[in-house]
Amino acid sequence: MRALVRAALACLALCGCASRNVDIRTLPAETPAADNAAAADNAAALAAVVATAAAESGRQAAGDEAPPVTPADAPSMYTYDPWERFNRFNYRFNARFDEAVFLPVANGYRRLPSPIRSGVHNFFSNLSEVDSVANYTLQWRLGFGARSLGRFVINSTIGIGGLFDVAKSLHLAPALTGFSTTLSVWGVHPGPYLVIPFFGPSTLRDGLGLLGDYGLSYGVNVADLYRGIRSWALGVTNAIDQRANISFRYYATGSPFEYETIRFFYVRKRLIEDEGLHKKDPARMRDVDKPAGQ
Amino acid sequence: MNWPPIRLAAALLALVPTFAHCAQLMSPAAANTTAPAIPASVAAGPPTGLADSAALRATVFGTPPQDLAPQPQTVPLSEINIALPYARPVPEVFWFDRKLRVWFSAQPHPAPLAIVISGLGGDGNTTKLGLLRGALYGAGYHVLTMPSPSFPGFIVSASSTGVAGDLLQDSRDLYAAMQQIIAHLPRKVQITDIDVLGYSLGGANAGVVKSIDATEGKLHIHRAVMINPPVSLFTSIARLDKLFVRSIGPSDAGIDALYRQLYAELANLYRASDRVELDEDFMLAAAAAALKTDAEFSAAIALSFRIDLVNMFFAGDLYAGTGVVVDPKHPPKVGDSLEETERILRGKPFSEYFSRVFAPYYLKHRPNSTSKSLIADNRLAIIGDALRSNTDYYVQTNSDDLILDKPELAWLRDTLGSRIAVYDHGGHLGNLGDRSQISDMLDMVGGHWYGTAR
Repeated sequence: MRALVRAALACLALCGCASRNVDIRTLPAETPAADNAAAADNAAALAAVVATAAAESGRQAAGDEAPPVTPADAPSMYTYDPWERFNRFNYRFNARFDEAVFLPVANGYRRLPSPIRSGVHNFFSNLSEVDSVANYTLQWRLGFGARSLGRFVINSTIGIGGLFDVAKSLHLAPALTGFSTTLSVWGVHPGPYLVIPFFGPSTLRDGLGLLGDYGLSYGVNVADLYRGIRSWALGVTNAIDQRANISFRYYATGSPFEYETIRFFYVRKRLIEDEGLHKKDPARMRDVDKPAGQ
Repeated sequence: MNWPPIRLAAALLALVPTFAHCAQLMSPAAANTTAPAIPASVAAGPPTGLADSAALRATVFGTPPQDLAPQPQTVPLSEINIALPYARPVPEVFWFDRKLRVWFSAQPHPAPLAIVISGLGGDGNTTKLGLLRGALYGAGYHVLTMPSPSFPGFIVSASSTGVAGDLLQDSRDLYAAMQQIIAHLPRKVQITDIDVLGYSLGGANAGVVKSIDATEGKLHIHRAVMINPPVSLFTSIARLDKLFVRSIGPSDAGIDALYRQLYAELANLYRASDRVELDEDFMLAAAAAALKTDAEFSAAIALSFRIDLVNMFFAGDLYAGTGVVVDPKHPPKVGDSLEETERILRGKPFSEYFSRVFAPYYLKHRPNSTSKSLIADNRLAIIGDALRSNTDYYVQTNSDDLILDKPELAWLRDTLGSRIAVYDHGGHLGNLGDRSQISDMLDMVGGHWYGTAR
């Protein structure tokens, strides 16, 4: 085992340091015909969802709901980032790691036949339903919790240990949640922006959420998957599966302002999600405005 | 385990290119109208003071998926990262742009090579390039897609000046890079012929690259197809500066107001949607729904252009040592915060790039030039004779293209004669990828276009 690790490290060092002038990487083939067809289908469905939402947001707020967000409520364009040097270091580290290791591995993985990949993906999604059930309960959103529980039971049995998402065809669409959302429901501020090594953009609260999710999975320890060497294999496969499903590429923008751009969008997105969580609690919602802005 | 951070950021970042690379330049008609204020409410309908609503809408949203030309089932793709031997030293803040990155799709048999150049600020793998790649690959071409010379990755890895925006110099840099890339393609790739294409600014680059090749003869480029090219770069861009001021405002306060309005609209839509996660698809659909009036479309177009300009401005200032935002003696280091620099640059129009970076640099390096001659040199007219007499140049454009005024469109028609297709609708690039644009483009690049332009 130790020899294997050494060989892998040596290989990494060689790959990373060798400065070849030309490097040609074969990427997974594109499937434009299928992609466009899917986009056409998706566009109609989403337009309907947004139209419904627009109609919803147009009506008067019900008694216990917060009034609509106004432009004055938007947080400042500045982002609270007291650990910027540390974060920038991590961002750069993540970019290099992604380029040298993570992305090539994920691209290799993406060449496996799609049924295998979707099986793996469903398997991990199913495992995280356990986490969702617990968190929905902590958030006191029991309807969602029941849905996650139902999905877990159906997919673990009829779906053969989660390899097939049978529940989705029974109109139980996946809706995962995590401990960071629970913390938000409890009114915890996002705190400072934080770039976590290997993981990427986050905030202090979301980082704690990740720890909480891991702790919970470890504690529940479904099918004894979270102990010993098995947990490492599981973690690595999970990471590869996740990476293979994300189209993000570090520095694809070519821009020296990419760190600022990502930080801006990440924090705003999370704040908007917080607005959604606190729509019945205007005081708390307004409070969310402060920590990300200065 | 949830793994949200990168995914979330990716989803959000996806918003930028939606606007950023679909539309870069702006119409004189729009710029001449009275200033539309930032529209205040969700309920505001589409009444406008701006010229052509359909053109603006098409420019922002592009071809609807159901109108796209048929695409192949699969297109093989590889990514080529190449360090050019003549590249300038890489400034520390641009450490990630050392190599030029292009994308290549190889046919398994001998085939002609189509080189496609991106529009202003675009990398070598934009959605629009993807549409063109699919169509060309399906028609039997090897396809090489390249970034615009105004893309920061190109400026750092392949520009001989670092100061982007000069049509001739940028095209020379492109031409040199093309030679290097083609020389390093895998041996099994057999190329029977070479054609160049490009959209928007890339269209102008494609034409100029072909004319450079006509004198230098290193690649023997056969045909050039220019899709929605500008006729006069700086005039078109100046209109955009005006549009920015009119639709967003002269200062950072306007950007802040636009941001706040979008934030509030997205937040309200999301709150009303009952979705658990604010995912990419929803964000895009919601952002599309948030844009309703022509003033908002104009603001999106102007802002996307400004975002591209920020990068170009920064790189140019750094390379030329002109000291507008970068202290030439103490250039920023890796790890330094650039937030304030970005904020300052966001408020600067192209005219300032021209007067404080571009012109000082080129006046110094190009003897006998004046500001006027620099502007005149950045017109398609510099290859006017070739466009007129050589039957291997083709143009596709739209009669409502925002970047052209009537005399410019007339000039194109007159110069290209039967080798131009002018479509009625589409604004700037808003019909790229649709059935007639693609089938005409394939006829043109294949040399069997018989001028059935409407």
